[in-house]
Amino acid sequence: MKATIRIRRFNPEKDKKPYWATYTLEDCEPTNRVLELLHRIKWEQDGTLTLRRSCAQGICGSDAMRINGRNRLACKVLLQEFGENPKIQVEPILGLPVIKDLVVDMEPFFAHYRAVMPYLVNETPPPVGPDGKPRERLQSVEARERFDDTTKCILCAACTTSCPSFWANGAYVGPAAIVQAHRFIFDDRDQLLKERLDVLADPDGVWRCRTIYNCTPACPRGIEVTRAIGEVKKAIQAGKRDF
Amino acid sequence: MTSLVLTITETLRYRGKLGQWAWVLHRVSGFGTLVFLIMHVIDTSWATFYPELYAKAVDAYKTPLFTAGEFALVALVIYHALNGFRIALFDYRPQWWRRQADAAKLVLLGTLVLLVPAFFIMAGHVVSYYNERVSVFDLGLEKVIEATAPFAIGTVVVIGLALVVSAGASFIPSLNAPKKQLKGSKMETFMWSFMRISGVLIIPLVFGHLAMMHLIQGVFDLTRVGHVPVFTNLGPNMEATLTAVNFVRLRWDTMLAGVYIWRIYDILLLFLVVLHGFNGLRYIINDYIHNRVVNRALRLASFGTMIGVLVVGALAILQSVPATTAEMLSQTSQVLIETNVNLLVR
Ligand code: HEM
Ligand code: HEM
Ligand code: SF4
Ligand code: FES
Repeated sequence: MKATIRIRRFNPEKDKKPYWATYTLEDCEPTNRVLELLHRIKWEQDGTLTLRRSCAQGICGSDAMRINGRNRLACKVLLQEFGENPKIQVEPILGLPVIKDLVVDMEPFFAHYRAVMPYLVNETPPPVGPDGKPRERLQSVEARERFDDTTKCILCAACTTSCPSFWANGAYVGPAAIVQAHRFIFDDRDQLLKERLDVLADPDGVWRCRTIYNCTPACPRGIEVTRAIGEVKKAIQAGKRDF
Repeated sequence: MTSLVLTITETLRYRGKLGQWAWVLHRVSGFGTLVFLIMHVIDTSWATFYPELYAKAVDAYKTPLFTAGEFALVALVIYHALNGFRIALFDYRPQWWRRQADAAKLVLLGTLVLLVPAFFIMAGHVVSYYNERVSVFDLGLEKVIEATAPFAIGTVVVIGLALVVSAGASFIPSLNAPKKQLKGSKMETFMWSFMRISGVLIIPLVFGHLAMMHLIQGVFDLTRVGHVPVFTNLGPNMEATLTAVNFVRLRWDTMLAGVYIWRIYDILLLFLVVLHGFNGLRYIINDYIHNRVVNRALRLASFGTMIGVLVVGALAILQSVPATTAEMLSQTSQVLIETNVNLLVR
C-alpha cells in the first residue's frame, strides 16, 4: 500500500520560514507505525529529515508530534487508522521553539516541570527494617491508588502543547507539570503539601487552565489530565489534600 | 511562546475535540457581550444624566444594524450562560469529565432550544414595529455611527492614555523586576471562584433582564406612547410611558412592598456582570499580550473603564430620583452586604 506524507520542515540555517514537503512511500503495511514511515523517509529519501525518538515503543516520550492535526506519539500510531491510501500530515508540537524539522526545544517545558518540585520530600528518618538498615516508606493500597493515574506520565509534552492556554502564553506551567504536581500532592508520604499548593496557586499555575479538555485525549498514556488539574484546583481552594 | 497571530491561526488548525471550540465560542461570546455592556451601561446612565442623549441612543438602537446586533447578542448571552454553567459544573466535579463532551453537545442543543422561541418572539416585535411605520426601510447609518463613534474614540483615548502611563511606569524598578519563582496568588485563587459563582448568579438575572427587554417587550416598546413598561404595574404608580427616558424612570421608580425592586435588580446585575466581564477581559489580555508595557497599559485601561462603568451605572440608578437617594442607598447596601455574606459562607 502507498502512503503519502506531508511534513512541516524547517532548517534554521537555510529556511526563513517552515514549509511543507511531501513524500510518497510504496509497500507500506497497515501495521506500520508513523515513526517507521519517518525512518524510511530519512533513510531512503532525505537524510536531512530531523526527528527525535528513542525507545520506539511509547515509553520514553521523545516523539510527540502533531499527526493529522492532533498531538500523538509517532511510535504509537498505526497506519491502518488512516484507511486504504493513507495521507498523513506531520508537524512539530506547538508552543515550544522549533530547533529543526520535528525537533523542538524542550527546555521551557522542563523548566516548568522543575518548578513544581517533582520529587518526594519527607524529612522524617526512614523506617528501619529487620536487618537494621533503612527501608522504604510503606503506604496503604488505597493511599497509593489515590495518585496512581498520574504516576504514568512519561513527560512527552503532548498534553501541554495541545493546550490553547499554553499556546497563548508559555508562562503557564501547563498540564504536564500539574500532572506531576498531582502525583506528589496526593501522596500521603509527602510533607511539602503547603508549598506545592502555593506554587500552583500562582497566576501562571493552575488558574490559567480554562477547562478546555484538549489535554486529556492528547495523552498517549491515557492519564485523566484535566481531572488531575481539577483536583489540584480543588485542593488549593480547600487548602488540604482531601477536599 | 508564539505570536498572537500564530496563536490564533494554530488554535484554529489544531484538531481538538468539541471542548476546544466550546472554549473559542465562550471567549468570543464573553468578549462580545462585554463590549455591548460597556456601551449599554453608559447609554442607560444618560437616562438620568443627559435625557436627550438617551433618547438619541435608543433611536439608534432601533436601526436595522442594531436589531441584527440584538439578535446576535441574545444568542451570545444564552450560549455563554449555558456553557459557563457547564464549565463551573465540571470544575467543581472534575471526576465527571467523561460526560463533558455530552454536556458540551447539550449546551449547543439547549442554546438552540432557547433561541428558536426567543428569536421568534423578537422577530414578532420587529415585524409589528415595521408594520406600524409608514416610512420606507432606512439603514440609519448616520445614527449608528453617531451612537458608536464616541465609544470607539473613547477606547482609543483611554488606551492611548494608559500606554503613556504604563510607559512611564517602566521606569519604576520594582514594577519591572523579572518574576523569579511561582508563588500563590490569593487574588487569582479568589477570582477563579468568583467567576464561577458570579456566573451562576448572573444566569437568572440576565435571563430575566433579557426576557423583560426582548421578549415581553422589545427595544421598540421603550418609546411606544401609552405603553406600560414591563413589570411597573406591581405597585401603585402605574403609568404609561411617553419616551425612553420615561420608561427607565418608571421602571426604577416601581416599588413592591416598599422596595425599589428594579433598582436593586439592576444594581446586582450591574456589579456582578461588570466585575465578571472585566475579570474575563483581564484573562484575555494576560493570555495574548506579552509585551510588558502594552500588557500593563491594557490592564490599566480595562480597570479604569471598569471603575468608570460601575460608578456611572450605580449613580444613574441611585440618583434618578434625588429625594429618595439616601433611602435607596441604605436598601441596596443591605442587599449587597447580604449577598456578600452569602458568597463568603459558601
Ligand atoms: C449568564 C451567565 C454567565 C455565566 C454562567 C458565565 C460563566 C463564565 C465562566 C465559568 C467563565 C470562565 C472563567 C474562567 O475560565 O476562569 C466565564 C468567562 C468569561 N465571561 Fe462569563 N458568564 C456569564 C455571563 C457573562 C456576561 C454577561 C459577560 C459579559 C459582560 C461575561 C463575560 C465573560 C468573559 C469576557 C469571560 C472570559 C473568557 C475567557 O477567559 O475565555 N460572562 N464566564
Ligand atoms: C439589547 C438588549 C437590551 C436592552 C434593550 C436592555 C434594556 C435596558 C433598559 C431599558 C435598562 C434600564 C433599566 C431597566 O429598565 O431595568 C437596562 C439597564 C441595564 N441593563 Fe440592559 N438591556 C439589554 C441587554 C442587557 C444585557 C445583555 C446586559 C448584561 C450583560 C444588560 C445589563 C444591564 C445593566 C447592568 C443595567 C443597569 C444599567 C445602569 O446601571 O445604568 N442589559 N437595560
Ligand atoms: S500527562 Fe500524558 S501527555 Fe502529558 S506529558 Fe505526561 S504522558 Fe505526555
Ligand atoms: S520513541 Fe519513545 S515514546 Fe515514541
